[in-house]
Amino acid sequence: MKISKFLLSLFILSTIFVSCDDDDEPQLPKGDYENGLIISGEGTFSGISGSTYYVSNDYATTESLIYKKVNNEDLGIFVQSIAFDDSRAFIVVDNANTIAVVDRYTFEKVGAITTGLKKPRYMTIVGDKGYVTNWAEGEYGADVDDDYIAVVDLNTLEVTNTISVSIGVERIIATNGKLFVSHKGGNGTNNIVTVINIATEATTEITVNDLPDDLLIDNSGNLVVLCEGKAAWTGNETPASIVKINTSTNAISSELEFEAGVHPSALASSSSNLYYNIGNKVYEVSQSATNLPTSEFLDSSVTTFYGMAVNNGELFVLDAKDYASESDIKVFDMATKSNTQTVKGPINASKIYFN
Amino acid sequence: MIKYFLTIFIFIISSKTFAQLDSIQQLKLVNLNSVKLYQHSKGYKVISLNDSIILKNTESFTSLLRFNSPIYIKEYGSGGTSSASFRGTSASNTAVVWNGININSINNGQIGFNALSVNLIDNINVRSGGGSIEFGSGAIGGTVHLNDQLHFGNYLKNQLVSTVGSFDTYNNLYKFSFGSEKIAAKFGVSYNKSDNDYKWLGTDNLKNENGAYDNLSFSLGFAYKLNNFSKLSIFSTKYKGNREFSGTLPNPSAAKEKYKDLNFRNLLEYSYHKNEFTHAVKFAYLTQEYRYFADKKYDDYSFGKSKRYLLKYDFNYKISPNSIVETFSELESVFGKTDQIEEKNRKQFSQSLIYTQQIENIASINAKIRKDYNSDYKIPFVYALGAELKPLRNTFIRLNGSKNYRVPTYNDLYWPALGNLDLIPESSLQGEFGLGYKTDEFKLDLGVYYINSKDKIVWTPGVDPEKPNDWTPINVAEAVNKGIEFTAAVNKNINKHLFNFTLNYSYTIAKDKSTNNYLTYVPKHLTNGNFSYTYKRVSAFYQHLFNGKVYTTTDNLNNYTVPYYNVGNIGVDYKLIQKENKDLSFGVKVNNVFNKEYQVLPSRPMPNRNFNININYKF
Repeated sequence: MKISKFLLSLFILSTIFVSCDDDDEPQLPKGDYENGLIISGEGTFSGISGSTYYVSNDYATTESLIYKKVNNEDLGIFVQSIAFDDSRAFIVVDNANTIAVVDRYTFEKVGAITTGLKKPRYMTIVGDKGYVTNWAEGEYGADVDDDYIAVVDLNTLEVTNTISVSIGVERIIATNGKLFVSHKGGNGTNNIVTVINIATEATTEITVNDLPDDLLIDNSGNLVVLCEGKAAWTGNETPASIVKINTSTNAISSELEFEAGVHPSALASSSSNLYYNIGNKVYEVSQSATNLPTSEFLDSSVTTFYGMAVNNGELFVLDAKDYASESDIKVFDMATKSNTQTVKGPINASKIYFN
Repeated sequence: MIKYFLTIFIFIISSKTFAQLDSIQQLKLVNLNSVKLYQHSKGYKVISLNDSIILKNTESFTSLLRFNSPIYIKEYGSGGTSSASFRGTSASNTAVVWNGININSINNGQIGFNALSVNLIDNINVRSGGGSIEFGSGAIGGTVHLNDQLHFGNYLKNQLVSTVGSFDTYNNLYKFSFGSEKIAAKFGVSYNKSDNDYKWLGTDNLKNENGAYDNLSFSLGFAYKLNNFSKLSIFSTKYKGNREFSGTLPNPSAAKEKYKDLNFRNLLEYSYHKNEFTHAVKFAYLTQEYRYFADKKYDDYSFGKSKRYLLKYDFNYKISPNSIVETFSELESVFGKTDQIEEKNRKQFSQSLIYTQQIENIASINAKIRKDYNSDYKIPFVYALGAELKPLRNTFIRLNGSKNYRVPTYNDLYWPALGNLDLIPESSLQGEFGLGYKTDEFKLDLGVYYINSKDKIVWTPGVDPEKPNDWTPINVAEAVNKGIEFTAAVNKNINKHLFNFTLNYSYTIAKDKSTNNYLTYVPKHLTNGNFSYTYKRVSAFYQHLFNGKVYTTTDNLNNYTVPYYNVGNIGVDYKLIQKENKDLSFGVKVNNVFNKEYQVLPSRPMPNRNFNININYKF
């Protein structure tokens, strides 16, 4: 006993000495799931819970079902998206009306937001507040105009306030003291982007093409919106577009409209380019371009294109395959356009985050 | 060679027994569907669930079949959507047959086993193996038969069964039947309701929220003997059910769906039987409707609706006492629509022929063929051959082989922008071989089967590469199902102590031919057993189910299986009154007696231990 205690104190002393040698604090590992990808999968209608997978940065390790493994419980159906603050990850589960809160590096559950949410979709974080888009009531063919943004106090994990907005909320992004919300339409279709002044919570609406979904901020600080347009099967097909909005004036600064019958579904950006897909093909367009490209950047050759991300010279395509087996995460080197890695992801993997 | 055939022919002519039995049945019984089923099932395994078994699982058709038949039933939480997998085949490959008429939904080709109350049904048969010749589309894995029974003779019977149980569950039924030399009539009403808010075992006080159901059904049967040769009969049943669909882990309170079912089935039959000939003309009118409320708080719903008219003519000619030829002609007109699909009419004419040959004490053989003509698509010519051989006393050998089909559903064909009008029916070839032993006390049956299905209709994403996220139905999959089925039944009476034991075991290997992976939601091992003991006025029973693990993903990942489970129910009955025409018993039943935590589908816990008390009064 005594010896081990002595050894322990010696060890502690030595680390202090060692660390004192250096000017920098030692980088102790923050958890098992640092330095890698976090991939979220929605789960299935038949009851397979949504889940999260971890893939290390060198692609050597894939760990499945990390939330379940650490916390011995399932997230629920359907895991829609994840938001992160410095230390935590907020996993949004829409049909479960829940946001599971975990340590972003260990994935240990630190809490959950279970009241005040109704079909939560996406969350963004500003300071110690989270803003969550909610579809609220209604279903396909019978939607109800009661969508809202839930304002979450991130210290207490409680919904403290709601901001009422138009129907069909989807993504949310914060910049310039404002929140931008795309209204894809929820169970129906819509064509607006709502701007919310964070300080006053006052809202204004910008009309764009039908089904605005992905949002990102480009390198000149503009909001980029991907509008998918209504598909042919709706009986009222409309064109898709990439819309840029000046985040100071809320004015549309440019619009790249797609030819009829073409419907992109995902948008990502590198430092100078935008990437979108049409079917399995990924296209590259400069952030300052005034025309859309005619030929593709690469062909992902996946079965079911279900999500896309760009990071550090690599492009990731999520292949949900038959919606009833593990997804493939295909990694492409953007310089060579070659498929360098393919790793496994959760069932119906739709989002990828870099931790 | 000719001599040999001649000998057989003479042998056939000289036999009588078969004919006599048939005549008696023809005279007394009104509804011959159950008799015919056995007559047409030479070489097939048929199990029979009579009313005493039916009344042990009044809570749902799902649990009745789960504890008493070799069928695996997927259930989205207790009382929720429920579909069958017979011999590892898909949900639309089990046909449910009401008084000889296939009642699978035209919208999705399936039957919701919780959208049907069977408490008023007099007799249920479960036949393993294909039956498209007799029962049409979807009779691939097997068929479940719901038969009304009615007979002439002097009687007047009443029966009242009332059950009260945990989670505010009430199952009640009343049946009345009356018979004279010329008239036979029956009437039944059943009402079931439950809050169904059972505790989710293994969770922190979560409950099965939004799981309540109630259903009301009526059934009516009437027959009139016009003369010694002909009779007229009518059977009618109506069902109205409301169900909420419970949610999933970890937050059941998010659930808000609701579902309504309305079914109405009518069958009018005239039959004439004289000497070697029997003619039956049948007219049936069936309606089916569902309404799906995505949110029960709102009145908006999506729906599917169908109306079916059937005209049938059955002809039966007894060539000799040991050989029968029967023809079945059927004209059907179906009108179906959903909130997505405008009304479409589909017409079909089908003609089938069944030849039955008995060779006394040696063999019984059925040879069957059927051809359908459908207004929408081509249906393959199908055929079947079944034989039962009796080489030794008490033993038998079963053999059958058949080709069967499943037609595309309305959803497959007409779903706006996604439906595929080029679909052809799924078809399957199958064969089975079985051995059995049967005495009054024992029955053993061991069978092996093989099913090869092709052109299976699968909703597949990315059929059109330009629209990778659109799902379209295509004839794509091929599957092979093979397995072993074992059934044992023991009935023993030792000094007035009656012992009864039945066991079903199935070993199923069902694989997708293109990937060689196991099909999802098919347990390799499935066993259920029922043991009952009766002595004088007391009887006790135990039901057990072992359900092997199932894969939930098409790549057969071990991380995503639903684990195996064991669940048992126990019950005791005591007869307070036991007289010739009066019988009152009182019973207690405990479901999930060991309080086992189990799931049939992932994220949906099944009921914890629960109780009910029941009375059964016959007068």
